[in-house]
Amino acid sequence: MGNIKRRRASYAAAIAAATALLLTACGGSSTSGTPTAADTSAAFPTSGSGEVHLYNWTDYIDPEQLTAFTAETGIKVILDTFDSNETLLAKLQSGATGYDVVVPSDYMVAQMIELNLLQKVEPATFPNGKNIKPNLLNDIYWDAGRHYSAPWMYGTTGIACNTTAEPKCANIKSWHDYFTAGLPKMDSLKDQVEVVSAALRATGVAPADLCTTDKSKYAAAADLLKGFKPAVIDSDSGIERVIAGTSNVRHAWNGSTHRMKDKVPGVEYIYPSEGLNLWADNLVVPVGAPNLDNAKIFINWMMDPAHAGAESNFSGYDNGITGSDAFMSDSLKSDPAVVVPADKTALISAVPPCGQDARDLYTQVFTTWLGEQN
Amino acid sequence: MSKIVRGRPGQTSPWLAIPTIAYLFLTIGIPLFITVVYSFLQRAKIGMGVTWHFSPKAYKDLFILENLDGTTTFDTRYVKVLWHSFQYSAVTTVATVVLSIPIAMWIATRNESTRNILVAAVTLPFWISILIRTYGLRQIIDDNGPIGWIAHKLGYENFHIIYTPIATMIGLTYVFLPFMILPIYASAERFDFRLAEAAYDLGAKRWTVFRRIVFPSIRPGVIAGIALVFIPALGSFLQSDMLGGGKTNMIANVIALNFTQARNWPFGCALSVLLILLTLLLVQAIRLISKKFGDQVSLV
Amino acid sequence: MTNSFLNIANVSKAFTTPEGGTVHALDDVSLDIREGEFFVMLGPSGCGKTTLLRSIAGLEYPDSGVITLDGQRIDDLPAYSRPVNTVFQSYALFPHMTVGQNIAFGLEMEGINKTETAKRVSDALDQVSLSGLDKRKPSQLSGGQQQRVALARALAKQPKVLLLDEPLSALDLKLRRGMQIELKRLQQQTGITFVFVTHDQEEAMSMGDRIAVFKDGKIVQLDTPQEIYRRPVNSFVADFIGETNLLDGIATADGVQVPGGGFIARSVIASDCVVPASGSVTIAIRPEDLKISDGSGSLKGIVRDVIFTGETVRVHIDLGTTEVVAHLPSYGVRVPDRGETVSFSPLDQSARTVAS
Repeated sequence: MGNIKRRRASYAAAIAAATALLLTACGGSSTSGTPTAADTSAAFPTSGSGEVHLYNWTDYIDPEQLTAFTAETGIKVILDTFDSNETLLAKLQSGATGYDVVVPSDYMVAQMIELNLLQKVEPATFPNGKNIKPNLLNDIYWDAGRHYSAPWMYGTTGIACNTTAEPKCANIKSWHDYFTAGLPKMDSLKDQVEVVSAALRATGVAPADLCTTDKSKYAAAADLLKGFKPAVIDSDSGIERVIAGTSNVRHAWNGSTHRMKDKVPGVEYIYPSEGLNLWADNLVVPVGAPNLDNAKIFINWMMDPAHAGAESNFSGYDNGITGSDAFMSDSLKSDPAVVVPADKTALISAVPPCGQDARDLYTQVFTTWLGEQN
Repeated sequence: MSKIVRGRPGQTSPWLAIPTIAYLFLTIGIPLFITVVYSFLQRAKIGMGVTWHFSPKAYKDLFILENLDGTTTFDTRYVKVLWHSFQYSAVTTVATVVLSIPIAMWIATRNESTRNILVAAVTLPFWISILIRTYGLRQIIDDNGPIGWIAHKLGYENFHIIYTPIATMIGLTYVFLPFMILPIYASAERFDFRLAEAAYDLGAKRWTVFRRIVFPSIRPGVIAGIALVFIPALGSFLQSDMLGGGKTNMIANVIALNFTQARNWPFGCALSVLLILLTLLLVQAIRLISKKFGDQVSLV
Repeated sequence: MTNSFLNIANVSKAFTTPEGGTVHALDDVSLDIREGEFFVMLGPSGCGKTTLLRSIAGLEYPDSGVITLDGQRIDDLPAYSRPVNTVFQSYALFPHMTVGQNIAFGLEMEGINKTETAKRVSDALDQVSLSGLDKRKPSQLSGGQQQRVALARALAKQPKVLLLDEPLSALDLKLRRGMQIELKRLQQQTGITFVFVTHDQEEAMSMGDRIAVFKDGKIVQLDTPQEIYRRPVNSFVADFIGETNLLDGIATADGVQVPGGGFIARSVIASDCVVPASGSVTIAIRPEDLKISDGSGSLKGIVRDVIFTGETVRVHIDLGTTEVVAHLPSYGVRVPDRGETVSFSPLDQSARTVAS
């Protein structure tokens, strides 16, 4: 399922990093391509021939939709998969890859733009560009106005709590409550950005200030974390542990929570009062894509509400296309973990990647906390 | 004029070694070189990798911690992680030695066809991905798995192995056991069991026979096994990650973290260099020990 | 000396073969070995002699029967607490120990103190003429030297019985002869009871005070070498011990008629042998007891081969249905030529009837 992609495994990432180390070492550091402005005046094609090469997360696209796409447009989809944004970046940085469409997360889009790895295809001007949800069009840090990227799935990182097994779930309303709850069977994610940003929020740092370089703010977050000793710090095993009853309260992705609910109806997704991190994946066209037109046709097709809704049903995440909920299954659209309730939208914000200094402070807080665990 | 063939029969031409040397240079030499070079560079501003500016900061960061309150102290975090890695590897090595000697001796005393089947059985785990095996082990030692169930039935309500350092060590022992069994078996197979009879005949009891006669004969295998288990165990991260609940960090977990989430390649490289140096030291120690015994250890 | 020192009573041991059959390595064997004697167990391979030796040592446990040593039952004791020691065919020297450490090993096991151990090690090395080699590793010694170390290692323990399992079989002939003499001398000097297993009848004859001849897990004959040589109980022993001509014949009132070859008179058959009045009998005659007598012999044949070996001349004579070998002195008598028809007869009292 789609949210497997969020269950990032550090060993896979390490292998990817090791590969990247070699690849970048072998001369990929300077990418010579320059962004090409798309000719937006031309009539937008709706069918074509040949192939489109898609590079996507594992299990993150519905194969039946790909068949339908080929039937409608006459374009064959060649699918290749990766398991982390860093793998994707390393591959693109190493030079021409033959991919037409790739699927980076928000912060990675920003980096790729800065590294001149993406083509300015102006997805917002595509026929289906009008369907892009307004809050995912201009007010996004990674590509305001959607000049490079079209929206794909998005999700949030909050707290999953089994209300049946743990009556004190009702007391957890904020990140601060979570870190200080001291309940048995609590788990944490093993993710530096998620854990430390949540701790920063819990100690009063505003969402816009999450990349602060003020050390005292990190000291406060570190102090809070000092008393937080979860049973397990792991990003992989959440769903199975909640289903097995070995974990009742955990830092969790909303898609995972949706799947927990399938088996354990008592699980609730908590939107902490200090706010939650939003992540959003995107469809982009890398520089040097061999089938530019086909890439555009593919992206436009996926911005159709019916197709976007079908993808949400496959992956278990909400998507960035207006009207797609009409095509979503009932269990999905009625789940407040997946579709953000109106009164919670204000809590959600995408966090831009921090600069080097802030990132170092994140690392310091995170590794110190890990080191205190045993 | 006919060409004179030099060298003895069975001696291969030194030219034949060149592809292997080239391969090793490419797969070990160059990455090692890159690791060392990168450890002296600065991080890239964005994306992955490094920028080409010399900086000893990564090495400084190994031991000196700039606290969040502005003070500077000796950083015990990485020393501690290294010490834990060392402990887990040592326990793993001892456990594999203790488990391997009886099984290796037992296999070595079977008849030839049984021996071949048993040796194949020892290598059987290699047919399955280590990831899947470790995942399987996690199911077994989980609180809700068979072991937990039995402990529960026996009245140990608070029984808990998964996501503890013990689980990490169980995982390491499980994965590295064949690497200990095989070299010990290779030594045990050559052991002349008539020597054990002779010792028995001269008045030695079972344990003395093992300690004084059998063990010295299989010692080269044990030492080779220690090299094959301890050193890779020191660099393991899968077991601590999947079985230790992410709380029992080993040095390789910290290295991995620096290549991924922390994106601090120079520091990750510096940690790797430190690990390589420690490993070299260990190999030297093992060499000295085996030399002291006058054993022929082929693997180190 | 009739007292029983090492007594083997009704010992049996069966093995299961890989094919599923059963082999009786020892089949109800009883035996008395006297104190201080050089006792040899002789037989072809697989006859049970080694199994019996290992049963005495404690490396094998019999299925049934009792072994008593000096009045103490030992068959239920583990090997390490039996007052016997073994010299192995393979020597089984510990390769990681020096010669001195090898010899000292058994003494250490008894808890003997260092000074005493050192003395006994050097004495043992003196006994086997290897003084000064105690610092060597076994791999630095010749086969013969290794053999001596194995001997010294067992002797240093001062066992009540020393068991030797074909200890000389790996040595070359000349070295073996030397060691035979040396072993015999050592046994006499130390007075220790030696139980020596071999398949070499010559070795058995030259060393043993008494010999037990084994076949198929049973003792066929137990006696002094002279008796066994002179009076083999059956054709197996006669054939196995030394060289023997076995002639099948028909008994008559005067002697034994050998088909095709001639006649053996009663006068040449040993007086303690019973020759039936009729029926078939097997006559055993040692080659050295055959004398070629110009025309007057009772047996006749054609010379097929004449082989000069140094001490004797071996003459192969074809009797028509069978062939016999006669040993002639290498000088002082006429040696027949190949193809010549000769007549010959056994010396008086030299031929024996044997059970087949």
